[in-house]
Amino acid sequence: MSTTEITPAPIANPVSAPYSEKIGVFWYGDSSLNVRDVVRAMNAVGARFITITTYELPANGGFRLEYHWDLMGVLLGFTFPISGKTIESIYDLCEAADWIEREVHEEYRIDFTGREYEPLLLRGGGVCGVNLQKEVLQ
Amino acid sequence: MSYEIPMGPYHPGLEEPYKLDMICEGETVRDAKLHIGFNFRGIEHLAETRNYIQVIALMERVCGICSFIHTLTLCQAMEKLTGLTPPPRAQYIRVVMGELERLHSHVLWAGIAAKLMGFKTMFMTCFELREKVMDVLQAISGNRVNYAMNRIGGVNRDIEDPQSILAMVEALEKEMTRTIIPIFTTSKTATSRCAGIGVLTTEKARSLGVVGPVARASGIGQDLRKEAPYAAYSEMDFTVPVVPDGDVRARLLVRALEIMESCKILRQALTKLPPGEIAPPGDGSKFSFVTGTATARVEAPRGEVMYSVSWKEGAKMPSRVHVRTPTYVNMPAVRFMVQGARLADAPLIQAAVDPCYSCTDR
Repeated sequence: MSTTEITPAPIANPVSAPYSEKIGVFWYGDSSLNVRDVVRAMNAVGARFITITTYELPANGGFRLEYHWDLMGVLLGFTFPISGKTIESIYDLCEAADWIEREVHEEYRIDFTGREYEPLLLRGGGVCGVNLQKEVLQ
Repeated sequence: MSYEIPMGPYHPGLEEPYKLDMICEGETVRDAKLHIGFNFRGIEHLAETRNYIQVIALMERVCGICSFIHTLTLCQAMEKLTGLTPPPRAQYIRVVMGELERLHSHVLWAGIAAKLMGFKTMFMTCFELREKVMDVLQAISGNRVNYAMNRIGGVNRDIEDPQSILAMVEALEKEMTRTIIPIFTTSKTATSRCAGIGVLTTEKARSLGVVGPVARASGIGQDLRKEAPYAAYSEMDFTVPVVPDGDVRARLLVRALEIMESCKILRQALTKLPPGEIAPPGDGSKFSFVTGTATARVEAPRGEVMYSVSWKEGAKMPSRVHVRTPTYVNMPAVRFMVQGARLADAPLIQAAVDPCYSCTDR
């Protein structure tokens, strides 16, 4: 998948295929994307990175990460299912993802490969990190 | 020789608990590391244990200053999952509350900034004005901090006498025009203390993805009220102040100008308040959600707030609520703002972001 293919060309108009609008978010339809290619495409069109939302899948099915960008008020979404606990970091391509990746790492023990990070020090009582993982909470 | 000076998590120069480790050479800060999470509350997890009524009350407590904005964003996301559209009058009331909250936040920040500048008389003036803004919020909602105004599909309380609220807002505007605005836009005290310090260039601001007044003070004219209007903002006439300088004075100026724009929006919303209902029929205790995830964004006083809410059909509780607050994306910029600054300016520089640790440690 090349960067050009996922560049959301004429984005000022209603976003066209392969994006599809669902409850206010324009989702990219191909889940086989590489996260770093998405970042390059978003950087190329000047989109602003917003956040990563983590969903823990049932029955130890891994996680689903949703990355969001804003492009002139249009909300773009990209979904990345991960079966294990690693995904490539985008921090070197997108500085704005630094604290977001660190937070996801501390809350869910997901490793963003290819980067080093200092702890943010999120705590659940006296325990550092892993506050939201269901297996830890139960 | 360089040495490290820790500031926080409990320090007279910080209003809230976070830690700034500054690497200094003499009086000059060369680099800094930030640490948060000292009061992390796990609210997102708690939200998964609350039903659709309780979760509104819970998320109102993410932030003491922007409590209305948090419930507004949450309710907008839940409205997408329930298919409910608030009536026009409710949309206008949401604009009124949102702008009063912006006034409250900016005036409170102005007071804290004045204190850190060593301008304590101004601090007193700002906090007196803050009380008056809270009087208006109380006149509408009955509450001074957590207003309990939002519900799924509308608002809980009407503005029964908009003219009396308008009179209060106009008195407030007059007072602000006489005190805060000239001090923060033209006074030599504010200029000499704030100009040229804590600079965040436009390029760096874009790279860090900062939002709200911090972005607008670095020359980035983003504002969701214009770019992706919600509630009744598409019917309001206002401008988005943008200053390119990127220093503490620019942040001061942007917020001062935003106070005036908020008053302008309030006048319009209260004058044009449409008649009709403020919520859908019924007692507001039963809702049907569709399975899916909805996202809503709102321009809070400190910048963009985003909620992602995930629900399963038939469930009373959300399966996931994720909150991205503005301070969380603005705070990393402090590291770059203090690089090269005098150590004595660090408290004012970090305060110029208007950080909210309640939001950050959600």
